[in-house]
Amino acid sequence: MSSSSLPDKDQYDPTFVNSRREAIVIFGSWVVALIWAVPYCYLNGYNVADPENIKTVLGMPAWLFWGIAAPWIVANLFTTWFCFAYMKDDDLGVNPDEEVETDSQQEEDEDEEGNE
Amino acid sequence: MTNIMLFAAGSSNAALWTFLIYMLAVFSLAAFSNKLLKGKNFLSEYFLGSRGLGVWAFALTFAATSASGGSFTGFPSKIYTHGWVLGLWIGSYIVVPICAMGLLGKRINQVARISSSITVPDILRDRFRSVSFGLIAVSLIVFFMAFNLVAQFKSGSLILKTLVLDVTVFQNASTAVSGWIQGVSFFEGVDAGYLICLLTFGVAVIVYTTYGGFHAVVWTDVMQGIVMVVGVLIMLPLALMLVGKDAPEGTGSLQYATQQMVHMVPPEKGTATIHRANNEETKVVVRQGDWLTLSAEPVRLFRVTKEKEIAAGSASVAAVPVLEIMTPADIKRVLENKDTSIRSDLRVDLQSLQMTAYMFGGEEDRNGNGQLDYGEDKNKNGELDYGEDKNKNGQLDDGEDQNNNGQLDGAEDRNNNGQLDGAEDRNKNGKLDHPQKGLYVTGPGPDPNQMNGFLPLSLAFSFFFMWAISGSGQPSSMVRLMAFKDAMTLRRSIFTVAMYYSMIYFPLVIIFCCARILLPGMENEPDRIMPAMAVFLTENIGLGWLAGLLVAAPFAAVMSTVDSFLLMISSSLVRDIYQRNIDPKVKEKTIKILSYVFTLIVGVGAMLGAVNPPQFLQDIIVYTGSGLAAAFLGPMVFALYWPRSNAGGSIAGMLAGFAAHLSMYCGGILANDSFFQPYRLFNFDPIIIGLVTSFTVTYVATLLTEPPPEDLVRKYFYKTKES
Repeated sequence: MSSSSLPDKDQYDPTFVNSRREAIVIFGSWVVALIWAVPYCYLNGYNVADPENIKTVLGMPAWLFWGIAAPWIVANLFTTWFCFAYMKDDDLGVNPDEEVETDSQQEEDEDEEGNE
Repeated sequence: MTNIMLFAAGSSNAALWTFLIYMLAVFSLAAFSNKLLKGKNFLSEYFLGSRGLGVWAFALTFAATSASGGSFTGFPSKIYTHGWVLGLWIGSYIVVPICAMGLLGKRINQVARISSSITVPDILRDRFRSVSFGLIAVSLIVFFMAFNLVAQFKSGSLILKTLVLDVTVFQNASTAVSGWIQGVSFFEGVDAGYLICLLTFGVAVIVYTTYGGFHAVVWTDVMQGIVMVVGVLIMLPLALMLVGKDAPEGTGSLQYATQQMVHMVPPEKGTATIHRANNEETKVVVRQGDWLTLSAEPVRLFRVTKEKEIAAGSASVAAVPVLEIMTPADIKRVLENKDTSIRSDLRVDLQSLQMTAYMFGGEEDRNGNGQLDYGEDKNKNGELDYGEDKNKNGQLDDGEDQNNNGQLDGAEDRNNNGQLDGAEDRNKNGKLDHPQKGLYVTGPGPDPNQMNGFLPLSLAFSFFFMWAISGSGQPSSMVRLMAFKDAMTLRRSIFTVAMYYSMIYFPLVIIFCCARILLPGMENEPDRIMPAMAVFLTENIGLGWLAGLLVAAPFAAVMSTVDSFLLMISSSLVRDIYQRNIDPKVKEKTIKILSYVFTLIVGVGAMLGAVNPPQFLQDIIVYTGSGLAAAFLGPMVFALYWPRSNAGGSIAGMLAGFAAHLSMYCGGILANDSFFQPYRLFNFDPIIIGLVTSFTVTYVATLLTEPPPEDLVRKYFYKTKES
């Protein structure tokens, strides 16, 4: 079918390659969150044998603390790592609108420096 | 503890003032945004803010648009009604920011720049060089968004009405308007108060959105986003502090709240005839929220759900909707509270009571082990589905029978004096002898209408899918992803939104679990729990004016959703239909006028639609939100990340996702007699069926059709300067 004359994959636009890799990692994090949170809460928070003496952590039911609250903190740590250590500052290309602009320029490019 | 009714009036003026100040700020922002329109590419600035959003603007507009009015009305009322399990219901919010912004963000922004796209249909059209794809996308967006907009307008008006309900000016205006609209067929059956709120809300949103465009929307979103988080952060410590007041030494506030919730029993809903307790002849109003008792041992406590009146000269009023509080500790708390006024001039008629227990959570736990066992279990499935064998004699006896609609019908389930009799395991005071324990602190949570409880396992999975995955498939989110300035802005914004959601969603669960203890009996009007709680908390610390700010939060939330949807529809019409299909050489000036006019027309149209809005408000919002994701996410993911994707495959995937999702809802008409109770294939929500279909069909249909033109692939996937 495709006897293409397209360049090799190593000629792919790095923004595309990086964002695809990042998307896969993000999707993976969702899968991990799902696999942990829902089964954990179901196994420990449903059909509780002795609800009158339900265990609590920091005042909330323990199943919810370990199933959602604690993972929430972990997820935030992951997000922090992802945003500041993993995700690349790729070039997004020129802003097509700026070519149209004549006299008005974008003022103050808030702290461009200091990344990576 | 203070009765909220007492201070509702005091705080309502604060709410009114907050609202006015708020509106003033919104209009100022719109005026300022309008200035920005000068000297820039009008279309791009008006609909996309010239792709120049920085971290705060981008993060907060994204967060505020996603957090629709539901976050501050529906969600708190759900927490209040079902308890701690709501923590699991919103569990996927731990990854929502990174998913919703990160899955598509960087790449969609880049592709939009390459193709000079301003709207989502723009991207699809250019990426695949297919005019028909663009038009299909526009049609779907306009179809879903128009319905959604009408529902959101209604939602906004209802919230506004809640805020100003007790304001004298509003009450007088309602009476006046009620007189004017009487006899006009268009307004038949329309509540005058609602109409006033709709006009106020509608005109405000339409004016600032039309005038200011995208930047106005973004800046008001930022302001609204700040209001929301400040509201929550003020409420959290106050709620914990007030709950902790009754806690024994050494027990933390939240610990105490959870312990109290363990013993809570869901209320029962029904109707009662209410008599005068004296011999007066004048008219007596039975107000919503009034407390009534029925002398018995122990006392039975009721709360009026809907206002009724005993006419002058009449001794009673029949069929007053009431709620019966079933938790002994709650009853004690209400009765002992000196600020709660129990209506001593009214009497509940015992014989007339027709009460219905929760479908899940209202049953007896006869051997007291915390679980429903054989013979008690409604659908788990000991075969006793409808018509429980309550006295375990193997047959359905008098007063136990139920009809086959799956609902406990009070008249069938009780004897004629309106009480459950001994054979049904309740004593003569209508109380459960052995209520189930821990319903509000475990899954699946009590539910008035669902036999399997509020959040059975399959639904927990579905919601995990829904928030994180379908959230990234919303075209309104995609538009925002096209507007940020650079990749660094995206990185910082994802982090900001993650922190922002952490400060809102889980704290809300805690606050409204505390509300169960602080404000018993709010099941009579659960959608008012947010303003009621705001008023309660602030009055208790003597800062009533703060309530104004807190109750503005839900209003802010719905406003920030409506404005962006409004802009999405008008941008589709101006850009995708007019400029790209009717008159590509249209002058900037004409575009400008058209943008204003279309935004105005769409807004006014939605407002008129909301005068007589369709009933199922929340259902429409869910249907349209999930429908958009089912249609758009699959094709967009492939368009961005798969060089092989082509127009044919993606169009097929979009239509298949749309159709599969719609067919689940149509299946609901056959299976459940209602479009809005969709058929759940394999017990999954329609969104999952729609997404799976859409991804599969896009993939397969793409492979079966010709590869895309090479120059297109080169343009979107390869380095521009090839070596």
